[in-house]
Amino acid sequence: MRPTGPLLLITVLQGVSGGLVLSVAALWWLMPADRWLLPMGLWGAFVIASVGGVASLFHMHKPKAGRFILRRLKTSWLSREALTTGIYVPVLAILVIVPHLLLVAPFWYGIGSVIASGLALIAMYVTAMLYATIPAMRSWHTPLTVVSMMWVGLVAGTALTEARIAIAIGGHPGGPLHLALLGGTVILAGIKWLQYRYFSEARQAIHASTGTGMPAAPYRLIDSGTTKLPYRTQTQVWPSLEPGRRAVLYMVMGLSLILVPFVLEVLPMGPRAIEWASAAGIMVCGAFIERWIFFADVTHSSKIWFGDELQRPSSVSSNRVSPDFARRLKQVGMHRHDGL
Amino acid sequence: MQLTIITDLNKCVGCKSCQVSCKEHNTSGAFGTVPDHDPYTDPDGMWWNRIVGMESGEYPNTNVLYLPKACMHCYDAPCVPVCPTGASYKREDNGVVLVDYDSCIGCQLCMWACPYGVREFDEQQGVVKKCTMCIDRIEDESLPEIERQPACVQSCPTHARTFGDLEDPDSEVAKLVAQRQGFTLLPELGARPAVHYLPRRQVPVILDESEVLRIMEERY
Repeated sequence: MRPTGPLLLITVLQGVSGGLVLSVAALWWLMPADRWLLPMGLWGAFVIASVGGVASLFHMHKPKAGRFILRRLKTSWLSREALTTGIYVPVLAILVIVPHLLLVAPFWYGIGSVIASGLALIAMYVTAMLYATIPAMRSWHTPLTVVSMMWVGLVAGTALTEARIAIAIGGHPGGPLHLALLGGTVILAGIKWLQYRYFSEARQAIHASTGTGMPAAPYRLIDSGTTKLPYRTQTQVWPSLEPGRRAVLYMVMGLSLILVPFVLEVLPMGPRAIEWASAAGIMVCGAFIERWIFFADVTHSSKIWFGDELQRPSSVSSNRVSPDFARRLKQVGMHRHDGL
Repeated sequence: MQLTIITDLNKCVGCKSCQVSCKEHNTSGAFGTVPDHDPYTDPDGMWWNRIVGMESGEYPNTNVLYLPKACMHCYDAPCVPVCPTGASYKREDNGVVLVDYDSCIGCQLCMWACPYGVREFDEQQGVVKKCTMCIDRIEDESLPEIERQPACVQSCPTHARTFGDLEDPDSEVAKLVAQRQGFTLLPELGARPAVHYLPRRQVPVILDESEVLRIMEERY
């Protein structure tokens, strides 16, 4: 489908914000020496989530009808997303603004971090479920979608926290959060590999012969019914990525989301914090690339009726004409290479 | 009651008269909901009914199949529960799936959820639109009985399309589906479409004179 700016911003930034909240909350409870980071982290998470939330408003093409958006909480994950993200961001706002207006006790942040973490996890889960529960989107209809979307957000948010610590101390942050980040990045590589395979399988499973209900394969699309690239009115599909372009995009994603940040975080690069800031920045950019591919490379079940289906030769064909056809050719004195 | 359209794939010749009549009816009159802003330079705009052409078999044993594809008005329409505002809904009295343009926010989630890709996005109005089964015609009591059917059904020159109530065992559509093993598209996705297709047969349909006269009398 067509990747749009609002969708990229809301899904990526909400995840990064959630990862940031969870990582600073973990530090608050596990590493008392790093408690100074929580107010700052909550502020960062609030700003990031707010940008994502505002961007999501631009996904509505008729905002006037937005007042009805909570009507289908019982069945619609988008209604639930509006509710959960709509609670998460204001709670963050209260947590960061109130201490500037009133004197708050230390447990304000302690309790607040737990509440914000819970709300962040719920919001991230609901957003991911929105995509994972659409059977027609063959590439997304798997629990892997939920795991991947949440994990990308958690790892990218944690990388931002680690970068902030590195900048503050001017060197290698270390500690359990650092180990968690490294482990999380390795797990992320595994998740993305599985998702790449799932996307490939979904792409292979959708072709013209599955869309007619007819037993006599093969089928070839000869007229897509007045559809035409780039399917302006049918945004659930998008022109298929060319294999070469797809390979490059996945490679760039792997480098920016996983490999380069991992190397920067592992290698002893000296006391400078610039590597950590770079690692976090590159990882967030990688998250955007990952999400762009997530939307652009998805296979919708209706793809079978669109004109740009990839031509795939049979994997079992011996490239020989049928005996019957060969006999007929022989009867008319022709060979199969005579230009037929 | 579940209104539906049955298409006999033996009779469909791919003339696209249903596609054109759908657009003609729905861009004109009191409703005019299909956008047709620049029909001469952008003829590939919105169509609620598209005829897909498929070639089957391998040379020399090839065949051509035409598949009219519009909203399937599914029993378990996946586009309905995903809609956050309730703009997409399925009518209880006749099973037709419709969109309330006033409460549609244009998020296009229903387009992603529809397995058949028959919902289309109107960029000008910012809402999603689709086949209404010509609800304005079939409920218009000022029209003669024979006219109260979808434009695509009425315009089909080969009578490939039949309109009726799928849940009425005495209706023509129910009988056709039962007797001719009517099938639906992508049943594995669980939407339970109401729109059925009658499979192609190797033997051509043979009409006798009385049948031709009956059809001519009925129509003209």
